[in-house]
Amino acid sequence: MTDLLNVSRRSLFGGALAAGALAALPASASADDATADPRRRRDQRTMIGVPFEEHRTVRVGLVGLGNRGMGMLDGWAAVPGCVVTAVHDVRADRANRAADRLVSLGKPRPAVHATDRSLFAADDVDFVYIATPWEFHYAQGKGALLGGKHVGVELPIATELAELWDLVDTSELTRKHLFLMENCSYGRNELAMLKMAHEGVFGEITNGHGGYLHDLRALLFSDTYYTDAWRRKWHTRSIASFYPMHGLAPIAACMDVNRGDRFTYLRATATAPRGLADYRARHVPQGHPSWNETYINGDLVTCLIDTERGRVIRAEHDVSSPRPYSRINSLAGSRGIVEDYPARVYLEPDHGGHAWQDFRPYRDRFDHWLWKEVGDENNGGHGGMDYVLQWRVVQQMRAGLVPDIDVYDSAVWCSPVPLSVRSLERDGKPVRVPDFTRGQWMTPRVGLDSRPSAMPATV
Amino acid sequence: MRSRLLLLLAVLGLLAAPVPASASAAVAVTIGAVDLDGPAVSTVEVTVTNGGSARLSRLSVSFAGPIGWTSYPASRSVKEALAPGASATVEFLIHVPEKPASFTVRKFTATASYRGGDGAGTATGTRLERSGAPLAGLAAAYNNVGVTAESNPTPGNFDGEGNSFSSARLAEKGLTPGAAVTALGATLRWPSVPVGTPDNAAGGGRTIEFTGQGSRLVFLGSGSSFAATGTVTVWYSDGTAASATLGFPNWSFQDAGAHGATLVAATAGRNRPTGYGDAAYEYRVFANSIPLDPAKTVELVTLPGNGAVHVFDLATA
Ligand SMILES: NC(=O)c1ccc[n+]([C@@H]2O[C@H](COP(=O)([O-])OP(=O)(O)OC[C@H]3O[C@@H](n4cnc5c(N)ncnc54)[C@H](O)[C@@H]3O)[C@@H](O)[C@H]2O)c1
Repeated sequence: MTDLLNVSRRSLFGGALAAGALAALPASASADDATADPRRRRDQRTMIGVPFEEHRTVRVGLVGLGNRGMGMLDGWAAVPGCVVTAVHDVRADRANRAADRLVSLGKPRPAVHATDRSLFAADDVDFVYIATPWEFHYAQGKGALLGGKHVGVELPIATELAELWDLVDTSELTRKHLFLMENCSYGRNELAMLKMAHEGVFGEITNGHGGYLHDLRALLFSDTYYTDAWRRKWHTRSIASFYPMHGLAPIAACMDVNRGDRFTYLRATATAPRGLADYRARHVPQGHPSWNETYINGDLVTCLIDTERGRVIRAEHDVSSPRPYSRINSLAGSRGIVEDYPARVYLEPDHGGHAWQDFRPYRDRFDHWLWKEVGDENNGGHGGMDYVLQWRVVQQMRAGLVPDIDVYDSAVWCSPVPLSVRSLERDGKPVRVPDFTRGQWMTPRVGLDSRPSAMPATV
Repeated sequence: MRSRLLLLLAVLGLLAAPVPASASAAVAVTIGAVDLDGPAVSTVEVTVTNGGSARLSRLSVSFAGPIGWTSYPASRSVKEALAPGASATVEFLIHVPEKPASFTVRKFTATASYRGGDGAGTATGTRLERSGAPLAGLAAAYNNVGVTAESNPTPGNFDGEGNSFSSARLAEKGLTPGAAVTALGATLRWPSVPVGTPDNAAGGGRTIEFTGQGSRLVFLGSGSSFAATGTVTVWYSDGTAASATLGFPNWSFQDAGAHGATLVAATAGRNRPTGYGDAAYEYRVFANSIPLDPAKTVELVTLPGNGAVHVFDLATA
């Protein structure tokens, strides 16, 4: 893979560049240096390929019981061999409501912890699930690791590069797994697309597109939905691509990122922030607290990510414009393409005539075992994929498997959050993506396209 | 040396082209068995044997599986030189996807580049691995309704637009279910299925069991496009395979000799979704053949992937 910055330097020494470009170069060069990968401490070892220790039952501690935390509660209660033993929310009433709910489902009443620290220290918790606002994820993920727990963190695991590195290092030091609770990695279409990619249906994969295009304006301005409007406030203080992971992670899996390929450079663009202010002008009464806010997050933030094997990924984020929902889910190569919303394919030699064909026969043929055996589109949130994720997390811990998603996957999938800022601050210049695996990305290994295995029997 | 090489090829079930007469003087690249029980990462051994008369040095070996499969590393170099007759084995990792239930062939390729040895500079070895069960015969691959009764044309869809041959017009030419058809020296049979049910295999590249011997394999069929050609692979019982192109003219409005085909029957008109019509035009059935190695016995046949190539029957001649 050519180093884009080296190319620029070569042109620079050739004296062919305009003065403006000359002035811009040192910034990007130093950005590159600033993200050079830190070295491992001597007592630190990789978590790649490290299985969970076998758990007879998985005792889960829940932190953050708002929309997401509560929405996942019944799933945790339903997975065989999983017990929710601890709950915490800064709003104690929510933690108590979760405890009551578990009792009403016929489950034991979990301990209601007054602080996250006490939950992380509890000796009856094996796995912590964090579903708090983004600003708390890093500290709580790290805290749970230091408490000796495995941790699943809602999107994103952290929002700064140094934090991502620290979570990698802390996982390696504590020998506990921390991973992104990326439910979309377990979507039925996404997993079928992954299996098709591995089969070679798309030929040599050259590009992929994913993202999070979800009109959240009504929820962002709601006084009751996001607690204290935490999510809208991010739009007043950051220019980042906040949340492209839902669409990016499945594409990264199809390209075997960290399993044979890796992200190398990212460059970002952002449109002007118009959507929220315009929505407010039309729908939000004067005097509402949002009228004191200025939105700086571009409506459409696009990241273009190069990979070592010469592929390009486009990762989009737009939650502030009127539009139908899409995570894009497009993957293309030398023999065809898949694109979702609606799911369709064009694959040689099966198709021709420049016309899309239905994805369904391929989804059926490449259906992932988790969907044949566990998934049910009517069970749990987001068309069943939330429960598949929960079942799989518990099964991996009970059976002592290597996790499908590890801290390295999680860190690199979330890295566009800080890297988009870095690139936007440099007028869209490419910025280097860290190699969180520290060199191990080259080796093929199995991930989400896993071998079938059973949930251990409950006794 | 030569016998050792042949033995190796036999043991590995290598399906490469027949060992050239000069094999004893050549550098050989052989690929070890690949565990296809995926999803998994399999280790593959590639052995380079210096069959040349000079020392072989600066050996570098690359390895790749089927398109889209991730392997590692891109190449391996061997520091030690190989004396004539000596060999070196290097390992690669490859990500193997889930094993499909249907018959599948996986092709692996390894290339060695070197100095000395046989002086050729490069040598390539391939390995074909088969997995999954083939279909029991051509009828099991029937996936298209090409013939309907004029009284009920609706099941028909020979051309993707709901049109089909008329069973009555075919019968006028002797093409009734189970009837013998002689063409290109072979005796074929018109599909022995009820009119209006799947009667031909069109596309999908399915592999069928087919036993026979002869100098050519004759196909009875027709095309539903002006580019109705595809690859047929013949699998012999000795483990070798050979591929050839098979094509039929479009069922109407194309030269009857296109793609080297021979006209078998021309019928007047066709069944359209609304009923019999287009009586002024001819809709035709053809025969075409691909060569066989007469010394070998055919075991399996992989049909074309192109859905415009419709096969009603096949036989050896
Ligand atoms: N994967 C998905 O499909 C999905 C869907 C929705 C939300 N999410 C993610 O879930 C997380 C939570 O989102 P939400 O919609 O539930 O927000 P929310 O505001 O509804 O819930 C957040 C909860 O965290 C509590 N909380 C706040 N600070 C806390 C702290 N320091 N310690 C403990 N509890 C604290 C709040 O009281 C509230 O109950 C976010 O990261 C969001 O992006 C993911």
